[in-house]
Amino acid sequence: MLPHLDRKLLRDLKRLKGQAAAVSLVMACGLAMLIMARSLIHSLESTRAEYYQTNHFAEVFVPLKRAPNHLAEQVRALPGVATVQTDLSVPVTLDLPGLTEPASGAVRSLPDFGEPELNRLFLRRGRWLSPGARGEILVGEAFAEANALNPGDTLTMLLNGRRQVFRVAGIVLSPEYIFESRPGAALPDARTYGIFWMPYKEVATAWDLYGAFNRLSLTLAPGANERPVIVALDQLLRPYGGLGAYGRKDHPSHIRVTDEIRVLTILSIGFPIVFLSVAAFMTNAVLTRLLALQREQIAILKAFGFTNRAIVVHYLKFAFVMVVAGLTLGLLGGVALGHQLVVMYRLFYRFPDLHFRLDGGAVGIALGVALGAVTLGVLDAVRRAARLPPAEAMRPEPPANFRPAFIERIGIAKLLSHSFRIAVRNLERRPAQAAFTVAGLALATALLILPNSFKAGIHEVLDFQWDVVQRQDLNLGLVEPSAARLAHELAQLPGVTSLEPTRNAAVRIHFQGRSRQIGLRSLLIGGQHSRAVDHAGREITPPTDGIIVSAKLAAVLGAKIGDTLLLEALEGRRPVAEVKLRALAEDFTGIAAYMELHAISRFLGEGDVITGASIGLDMSRRAAFLAALRDIPRVSTVAIKETMRQSFRETTAKSMGLIQSIYLTFAVIVAFGVIYNNARISLAERARELATLRVVGMTQREVGAVLVIELVVLALLAVPLGLLLGTGLTTVIIGSINTETIRLPLVFTTYTYTFAVVVVLVASTLSALVVLRKLNQLDLIAALKAPE
Amino acid sequence: MRGLTKFYGEGTTQVRALAGVDLDLFAGELVVLLGPSGSGKTTLLNQLGGLDLPTSGTLRYRDTDLTHATEAELTLYRRESVGFVFQFYNLIPSLTARENVGLITEIATNPMPAEEALGMVGLSPRLDHFPAQLSGGEQQRVAIARAIAKRPAVLLCDEPTGALDVHTGIVVLEALERANRELGTLTVIITHNAVMAEMADRVIRFSDGRVQSEQHNATRAAPASLRW
Repeated sequence: MLPHLDRKLLRDLKRLKGQAAAVSLVMACGLAMLIMARSLIHSLESTRAEYYQTNHFAEVFVPLKRAPNHLAEQVRALPGVATVQTDLSVPVTLDLPGLTEPASGAVRSLPDFGEPELNRLFLRRGRWLSPGARGEILVGEAFAEANALNPGDTLTMLLNGRRQVFRVAGIVLSPEYIFESRPGAALPDARTYGIFWMPYKEVATAWDLYGAFNRLSLTLAPGANERPVIVALDQLLRPYGGLGAYGRKDHPSHIRVTDEIRVLTILSIGFPIVFLSVAAFMTNAVLTRLLALQREQIAILKAFGFTNRAIVVHYLKFAFVMVVAGLTLGLLGGVALGHQLVVMYRLFYRFPDLHFRLDGGAVGIALGVALGAVTLGVLDAVRRAARLPPAEAMRPEPPANFRPAFIERIGIAKLLSHSFRIAVRNLERRPAQAAFTVAGLALATALLILPNSFKAGIHEVLDFQWDVVQRQDLNLGLVEPSAARLAHELAQLPGVTSLEPTRNAAVRIHFQGRSRQIGLRSLLIGGQHSRAVDHAGREITPPTDGIIVSAKLAAVLGAKIGDTLLLEALEGRRPVAEVKLRALAEDFTGIAAYMELHAISRFLGEGDVITGASIGLDMSRRAAFLAALRDIPRVSTVAIKETMRQSFRETTAKSMGLIQSIYLTFAVIVAFGVIYNNARISLAERARELATLRVVGMTQREVGAVLVIELVVLALLAVPLGLLLGTGLTTVIIGSINTETIRLPLVFTTYTYTFAVVVVLVASTLSALVVLRKLNQLDLIAALKAPE
Repeated sequence: MRGLTKFYGEGTTQVRALAGVDLDLFAGELVVLLGPSGSGKTTLLNQLGGLDLPTSGTLRYRDTDLTHATEAELTLYRRESVGFVFQFYNLIPSLTARENVGLITEIATNPMPAEEALGMVGLSPRLDHFPAQLSGGEQQRVAIARAIAKRPAVLLCDEPTGALDVHTGIVVLEALERANRELGTLTVIITHNAVMAEMADRVIRFSDGRVQSEQHNATRAAPASLRW
């Protein structure tokens, strides 16, 4: 049989179910987020680690222009090198039926016989290439899905200018392309960019590379250090056009997954901390006030010989019931949301088998954190109550000191109604409780700022990327650097309204022992397409000498304007030169450096050479333009802004929307929970007093006005405070999303603030209505009876 | 108890509630402690019940010195030996009559069943009612059942009829008298109502924090014969 004290617990819980549920719900939000985020991290990390291991993902990678196959032996002989794999990677243009815009991709070679040593593929559907067969390819899954390609289908490719038809043998995944995207593109576009695999012989023949390789990957011997291997490798491959070796942590696909994990980590710490603090705070508020109401009961229990310990345990159990409910809900919610997000991740990250894996440790942490939060929340309140000598507790609480409220003392009281005076005196008389309510409301307001600010930040990044920085309609990339007169030829294509040549180069930038491998982009003086802008959004006029770098890159290097950086080209004759840092560019995705077009040519020691062009297009003639473009074999990549935007809206925007709406839903739940709880508690505390007011002849309306006025006054104090708090909180959390891949700008819009205020107002109004209804049901006689 | 004093507060606001009380109470007695409000009766009861510690003097219960008892010893004393009845009943509102009594019998060493205790106060038909569903007199009888269910050696009642009308008050006093008679419990009733003196074995008049006089009744009047 249940001990009687536990029965009391259950009945008290039943009576306070609304408030207990609100606390549990807030806790559940925090725990769901914690469990979801930690489990997603666990799913991504463990799946990736297993994938890398099973498929022998390399540890060091180096692209180069061309080296003879026998050079691999020399690499193998380098100290610290375990396994070496060479292959070819070449750009390819596709001719897809039904797709007006040109699609492109990369073709990677596979050994003619047997499996590669490293970076092995995973066969999703179909079969491997038949040994010695010609005209067969394997297709990366993302592209195959986006273009509905199945094994047995055919695909037309322009290989080094020659049109050839290939048959799809199988659909595959590669640990090198967990994130399949056009190099340098911020967002994936699986429809117009794909990865393909062919036998070495076929690729080498088409590109006149037989007996050579242009990609090398290797694994390190156990215990070997990556750094010396990279240095030795760079030295060895320099004569062969080596473009700089890099480790896994700089591998583009690896970085994407790592950055996702990093963002999840921030979210798995930041959000739950906030939510659980609110939950602890609410538990504290509920219990402190519950204990105040149960003063006499505690005294009775003590008078009849219950120990302090028994009483503390009793009330802690009360909190733990809320924890268990919160944890159960949080676990269910976290797992459900986690599954949803995994489905979304599958769109971006291609693993053989990405499943939601519950992080058992996270559940333990969640339980520990929740228990810790509420224990902290209740311990103090319970202890204070238990310490009370029973004789003292039995006496009713001493009457409070009343005095005219501050507002009255400063003399505007005459303008105010009775209800108003009672309300403000009450608030002043019980400042601690008023502070509790204000803090609760402010927290609720603050939580609402973050998700919308997050969303606004992402929009800002995109608008910035596509409207401020890149104002052209499309970018063309060439197979290899070409003479500038090609630009004139391109400018003659139908529909071209403007054309600006681009000269981009792979470089390594050094400053005081720190360095980064980046893409150097060209800017034109007076150019209307690509621009660099400063932190205030002003265009930076490219200086005729010197360099502009991303503010983030400068921070990473520790350089400031006026410093001299060392620029090392990773192509051509690989010149090295000192350049002055002239300006810092504000950008949000990746890190980059910009130089004036002719300054790049001078630096590289070459004449008028371009690697691509940016184009403004008359969109009504788009089809004609794209058709004409197919006859220019030197164009390897076409990136159309509208297409990217469209595809972004269909994928990334949707998924970000999902995450953002999860957070927003949680924030709204918490706001309602906090506000509802506050209203209920103050009604409970004041039942006798308000009943007295009714008994002495105030109307329901007037008594209701007392409560409503109190709530309004508190809300007026709390909302501005909450907006400030939310701004600070958001600044901290969004500020920590500051990686080399992505940085989120802090954007606070009127909408964000208005939304928070409106939600708080709606929640307050609804809570007030509930409380007013309860007030009308108040049993006047019972409330006035002797204290029970 | 000898020379028991109790002061509240400090300095100029200090209040003397007990000014040196000498008193012996014996097993099985029914004692009525009479005094006007503010005379310090409740303070004395708090000392007797181990709810509060005196400022000076000695207080012994059998072989235990309560004056220097620790919090744990006081708790044990209350748990094993004392039953309380308060003016405002002080029932746990979320528990039924039976459960309010059961709550206490659960932690007592030799209790009677809750039903039996409630039977003794004539509440057998109302076992499963919540306090809010009971009248004031019924609530007070539940409180008495709760106090006697553990068969305490000492039953302390602070104005047990103070919140009740005459008729109901008499029913409550009958319940107390019966418990005293049948269980042999030392029963101390604090009241300002002099009529109740007639039902006592001994009447102690109390004012200004002191015992003013003591009086032994040869026979105890039946509560039903009292009127006020």
